[in-house]
Amino acid sequence: MQNKIISKQDLVSFVNNLIKEKAAEEIVGVKASDGKYAFGELANASELCLDYDVTLLPPKKYFLPQKETVLKFKLGAKPSVEPVADAKSIIIIGVHPYDIKAIELCDAVYTSTNPDPNYLLKRNKATIIGVDCLNPNPKAFCPSLGTAIVESGFDLMLTDIGDSYVVAVGTGNGDKLLNKYAKTKAATDSELAQRDNQRRQALGKYKVSLNMPSSEVPGLLEASWDSPVFKEKSETCLSCGSCVMVCPTCVCFDVQDDIALTLDKGERYRQWDACMLVDFAKVATGENFRDDKEKRFRHRMYRKGMYLITRYEKPGCVGCGRCALACLAQIASPAETFNLLKEAS
Amino acid sequence: MKPKIAFFDFTGCEGCQLEVLNFETELVDLLNLVDIVNFREAMTERSDDYDIAFIDGAISTESDIARIKAIRDQAKILVTIGSCSSLGGVNCLKNFYPMKEVLKIVYGKDAKYYNTIPARPVSAVVPVDYSLPQCPVNRFEFINLTKALLLGKKPERPNYPVCVECKLAENGCVFDKGGTCLGPVTRAGCGAICITNGRHCWGCRGLVDEPNINSEKEILKEHGLTVEDMLKKFRIYDGWLEVSK
Repeated sequence: MQNKIISKQDLVSFVNNLIKEKAAEEIVGVKASDGKYAFGELANASELCLDYDVTLLPPKKYFLPQKETVLKFKLGAKPSVEPVADAKSIIIIGVHPYDIKAIELCDAVYTSTNPDPNYLLKRNKATIIGVDCLNPNPKAFCPSLGTAIVESGFDLMLTDIGDSYVVAVGTGNGDKLLNKYAKTKAATDSELAQRDNQRRQALGKYKVSLNMPSSEVPGLLEASWDSPVFKEKSETCLSCGSCVMVCPTCVCFDVQDDIALTLDKGERYRQWDACMLVDFAKVATGENFRDDKEKRFRHRMYRKGMYLITRYEKPGCVGCGRCALACLAQIASPAETFNLLKEAS
Repeated sequence: MKPKIAFFDFTGCEGCQLEVLNFETELVDLLNLVDIVNFREAMTERSDDYDIAFIDGAISTESDIARIKAIRDQAKILVTIGSCSSLGGVNCLKNFYPMKEVLKIVYGKDAKYYNTIPARPVSAVVPVDYSLPQCPVNRFEFINLTKALLLGKKPERPNYPVCVECKLAENGCVFDKGGTCLGPVTRAGCGAICITNGRHCWGCRGLVDEPNINSEKEILKEHGLTVEDMLKKFRIYDGWLEVSK
């Protein structure tokens, strides 16, 4: 992989050039937001925060929006249906490695068996400029899952080495952007050594870890179906959905129709939905296949630690810690539950 | 024939009727589908022949009870709009004082001319078909319910807490900012409007079907509230419910 160096000042110019020259229809990046950080549209490079810990929502929202119209329909004598899918070209700046891993999982989910046109249209128009996470949040446990550092899944990947960034060039598209909009030079061996050192130091800052190799988690869960841990942990669960709404590897949605007040036309939309919500597994006749919080809690743990991995051969949890930060009852961290199950096994 | 709908107000600020009127352009479309035959805040004509009754305001006098029973007898479908008719709402704050004292505080020496009973939601007196609590009523939810009734569909309302919509709106958590919030047990559907605008959830939409009240109370305690503070917080809108007692 090609590695370049861009000074911090030149990175600012690079981002401002992308914005000014409209290198894509949307240029978004990580900004301070409501006391935290969030991906949002950049008006100026000065808004960009590349030393953030974690964003409120993952960048998944650009490929699978919280709410999205998927078709329009007309009723009456000649009913008609028209699919709706649109996408703007987008450059997303400041994606952490764990979110890149999560996007790879979403890609697998949305392309296998029944490719999702709405997702793919957006995804294929996206450029991802990553940045290494050097200040992990206190609930993150990426090193245990191999999601702290990535070698692919990005167009460009930045690593802060003090006065400048090392830029790993992941794709031809990334290379073109640099050539057109940025001033860079080739990275020296000593600069690459500095990058490795920065990454190594960051690995030492994580406060949570799995007490077993992550490859053991699916088997551990398989053997723990009847474990009392699920009931104990879920006792205080609010079923508020915070853990699953902020999760970068949650991929589920609900579909509803919205009919116009004229009652002759309408739209069908989809909106994020998730397995920790009470009605998620409720069917039309009223039965609920996961009718208590213990079953829902266990299902989420299986989903993150086993089902997704078995099916897609990619981590079902990337260890970003968002769920644990969002959970008021402080029960959401998969690492904590997996560790408890391990201790009890 | 278009269904006839009627609005009736009981104890409350009548802000819910105003909120329906705020629809302006959509009201014209609505009038193509229904006839409004009773709407004190918008028209002078009155009729006692209607199919769907929308009620705002809580029940708080003996005469209210007789009046709501007559409305129930007439209406094929009865819908409560707003927190007062659906939950009892802020009116139930008075239930925590002796009724005599309440009358004296409000009416002074004229108290003897009035009667009052503990405030209650409409459902405590007559069966209610659908409830749309929120303070004031969410007019989009009102329109969606009306559309569903006209189409013969089952009206849907979210059965998850405000936290879901708060996360979708990408708000920072009120608790992280040092505040306290009833969002984790309150039914969503408002789009987390209060938190999005810098406040916290007051619980005006009532509780979800399976609220984990013990856990919410524990969290409020961890964030510095005493039992008395907590009860006060729940009593603002949910004073009729067990959670406030």
